[in-house]
Amino acid sequence: MYDKIMKLYPSLTDIDFMTVITLQNDSDGKGDYIAKWEHPTLARPTDEELA
Amino acid sequence: MACIINASTTSGLVQTADLSGVLQFQQNGVALPNGGVAPAFNAYGSALQSIATATFTKIAFNTKAFLNGVSGTVFDTNTNYDTTNYRFTPTVAGYYQINSTISTTSSATGLAFIAIYKNGTAFCYGNIVPNTNGGYITANGLVYCNGSTDYIEIYAYQNSGVSLNFGSSSSPFQFSGCLVRGA
Repeated sequence: MYDKIMKLYPSLTDIDFMTVITLQNDSDGKGDYIAKWEHPTLARPTDEELA
Repeated sequence: MACIINASTTSGLVQTADLSGVLQFQQNGVALPNGGVAPAFNAYGSALQSIATATFTKIAFNTKAFLNGVSGTVFDTNTNYDTTNYRFTPTVAGYYQINSTISTTSSATGLAFIAIYKNGTAFCYGNIVPNTNGGYITANGLVYCNGSTDYIEIYAYQNSGVSLNFGSSSSPFQFSGCLVRGA
């Protein structure tokens, strides 16, 4: 998930992923997902972009 | 199940008795923490867990500890810890001291920490350590739980740029908690 998002938005920083973006994995076999996307300028990636 | 002394809002002082030899105090039907039913648990993980970079990942504390450390009675007084979902859902309302520790592996860059999650959202964070050192990270907090739906989990985070292994079968990484004050 992280790698796909960074490929879409290379300008994102470590701080972004600790503040306005939260990637999460609930260890339930369903994998990583975007739990929060509050970036002020970049749009939340679509499922198609992350596929 | 217990001899109960209950301060009821409708009946005043209510006493019930059985032959269990257990004494329980209640406030309007809710057991007090010192009444012998205060939830306490201790769980640990039994294998390495890969944590993807920049991704809050629930730690799989999948085994209940034993009271004496090796066998016998498990350390989960009220059977409130779920080893499938790695979740503590206490059945008595009140304030819970929550603790967790896990080992990390070193990496050239980034940092690592763990967080106490309440109901799926970060409630408080532990100490942040640079990945260059590896070692142990901890989180401790006092969390109110309503005794029915509130639940507690532990999530780990690292941002080395690659996946890192946390925990191991040979080093202690544990998740524990207990009621310290009733609601």
